[in-house]
Amino acid sequence: MAQGDKRESTNDAARVAVTAAGVISPLGFGLAETLESLRSAQDCVTPVMRFSVKQCRCKTAGQVSDLRLLASHAQTLRSGRLHRASHMMIQALQEVVAQQPDFEPELTVVGTTSGGMSYGERYYRSLHGAGDLRHAATWIANYPAQKPVIDAQTAFGISAPCQVIANACASGTNAVGHAFECVRSGRYQRVLAGGYDALAEMVFVGFDSLQASTPDKCRPFDRNRSGMVLGEGAAVLALENLDLAHECGAPVLAEIIGYGISTDNFHITQPEPSGVGARQAMERALQSAHISASDVHYINAHGTATAFNDAAEGKAISALFNGVPVSSTKSMMGHSLGAAGAIEAVVCLLALQHQLLPANINFTAPDDDVDLNIVRNEARPAVVNVALSNSFGFGGTNASLLMRKPEA
Amino acid sequence: MSLAIAGMGWVTPLGTGVDSVWDRLLQGEEASATTISEEFADRVYSVFRVPESELKGISHPRLRRASAISRFAAAAGLHALQSAGLNLESQNTERMALIFAISNGGVIYTKRFYREIVGSGAQAASPLLFPETVFNAPASHLAAILRMTGATYTLVGDSAVGVAAITMAEELMTNESLDYCLVVGTEEIDWLLCDAYRRWRLLRLAPPIEPFSKQNRGMILSEGAGAIVLARNGFVTIERAHPGGYFRKRAEAEKILNSILCDLAQVEIDLVISSANGTFVDHAESETLQKVVPNALIYAGKPALGESVGAAGLWQIILAAQALRSKEIPPVLHTDRAHRLRVSHSRTPIAGARRAIVLSCGINQQAAGLRLAIE
Repeated sequence: MAQGDKRESTNDAARVAVTAAGVISPLGFGLAETLESLRSAQDCVTPVMRFSVKQCRCKTAGQVSDLRLLASHAQTLRSGRLHRASHMMIQALQEVVAQQPDFEPELTVVGTTSGGMSYGERYYRSLHGAGDLRHAATWIANYPAQKPVIDAQTAFGISAPCQVIANACASGTNAVGHAFECVRSGRYQRVLAGGYDALAEMVFVGFDSLQASTPDKCRPFDRNRSGMVLGEGAAVLALENLDLAHECGAPVLAEIIGYGISTDNFHITQPEPSGVGARQAMERALQSAHISASDVHYINAHGTATAFNDAAEGKAISALFNGVPVSSTKSMMGHSLGAAGAIEAVVCLLALQHQLLPANINFTAPDDDVDLNIVRNEARPAVVNVALSNSFGFGGTNASLLMRKPEA
Repeated sequence: MSLAIAGMGWVTPLGTGVDSVWDRLLQGEEASATTISEEFADRVYSVFRVPESELKGISHPRLRRASAISRFAAAAGLHALQSAGLNLESQNTERMALIFAISNGGVIYTKRFYREIVGSGAQAASPLLFPETVFNAPASHLAAILRMTGATYTLVGDSAVGVAAITMAEELMTNESLDYCLVVGTEEIDWLLCDAYRRWRLLRLAPPIEPFSKQNRGMILSEGAGAIVLARNGFVTIERAHPGGYFRKRAEAEKILNSILCDLAQVEIDLVISSANGTFVDHAESETLQKVVPNALIYAGKPALGESVGAAGLWQIILAAQALRSKEIPPVLHTDRAHRLRVSHSRTPIAGARRAIVLSCGINQQAAGLRLAIE
């Protein structure tokens, strides 16, 4: 639970199953491709061609191929106008629907930071440069942050109300975590949760202006780390009351067992240096799950590879966990901001399902100040029964999610 | 589980403070429009702005460089806590959650930041402006002012997002470790927003907003914030919050509104606070109100206060709570007297009123509603 543990002291809290999942990211289209990329520890970061990065320090990002994205489902006139974020969300939801065609969510909770941002950019550029504004109404209609999830639901005839959380880089984990709490409390039986974000010039330049992004490779927790690279993608998880899932014969891919959220008020872009906010989120997730730190077998770190984030997160992890394997899969696919938490929840799901520790690639040398058991450069088989996923964002918002391998 | 409203804060173009704005509404006053222009465009728009003088006394290091949206939110949030009698110094801030409802976010700084990129290239981008463009910047500032360490969420959506945020607050407060949830809706105006809404055929170039008119002449944008402290006990109960829904096309709005209203109107309803704003929303709401609650008195505040999008839902809830508490409603301005709805054309006493519905039809596909009750 987000804070403290009052409700879970009673035994009536429902258990929460993940009964389907869909993902699209630089690692691949769908669970199978994502797993393959994780197994081979593939570096999926490529040069940015979508907009000019000539004046930026960083020139790369994890990107989803437009060619494949637009070819992946039938194009209609209407779908041709949708933003890339909508197409990604449709792709991820399509995979969920294929696994669970009868899943009827009562609520959908998603995270994003920018929705259809690049359409807003196009509109502004056309206004500013007295350009062609004939399509302005289409850009504006497809710009709002909530539009991609509404588009995706519309594509599959889903009518659930949508909550769109914009807690910066923690949004995706917040969305899955809040959805988990909604089912756990018994208020809802079936909830869709996820996140989406597509690469946008303004955001790319923004991180570059902060010197948070790197001209080098993304090297989380490395002594020579020099910053993040951005990414993009979408992921959706179908969350269901575990008993109900069993009754309906739905496959249980994993169980979500805990969620922690905290706010540190140190700085709008930097974490509290001692890692107190990150630590609180992880402690609250453990409390919520009624497990101890020693029960955790794998940590998918926020691990942006910025000096400040990795130092604070590293301190928090090493203070709480003794030698638990840690990796940041952002090293392979970049940081997809509002989608990251949802995509990384899917990565944890795959780690639990396939007993695999995903790699932290581009790792050259450990940071003397951070004592972590990094999964260096290659994925490896391991017993993974419980996985923790961290996401921390601007504004000092911190979120941690705990997932467990389903009982045999 | 039902929650109650324990405190409210209000920053509007008609003034700051719940009692002060309410009094002016009861007198039939409306916000004054000012014009807004842009250096690279000829067109000028009318908007309802919050006068700078209304934010006097709101100062904190975190607000030094913050945009108007964050300052509106901080002012409304602090007023709400004060009116709930919460002393922040002695309050356990872990036992309070913060939810922000936002639609367009920090558009002024976003535009300024991107203008530098477009005009002078990426190297001109300001690292000081970028963090203020993020949707959760206003929430982050208020959380820092309040020294909150617990749950903070920013919900984005359209003008229904404020009402939807109450549903989320209910969900969070099933957790008994929370005593309070501060819900804040906030928005700021920029020329760019006016132009975007005009291109989307939602905006009128000059006031008034004419609700429930036969012709949809359009809305006038406004800015400000509304804040509500939710607690286990308070002066008005949130009896039921509908989780809301969405419509694919504007023509389908009535269907989802009908389903929300039917769900909320299963008990006797005295008053409905409508989101009518001079756009397609009005027809959709009017049709469903006539069908489902033909006897309820209808009040629409947007003709007096403007369409504040992300803040609008909170404003509607404040209007409903004030009406139930003060037992009267202000006149609905600029409306056609021949309309079939029971609209209050003058300041009207509602002595026996116990229940009010807040119906919120968003301008970008979302809809939500809730029911308030007073003992």
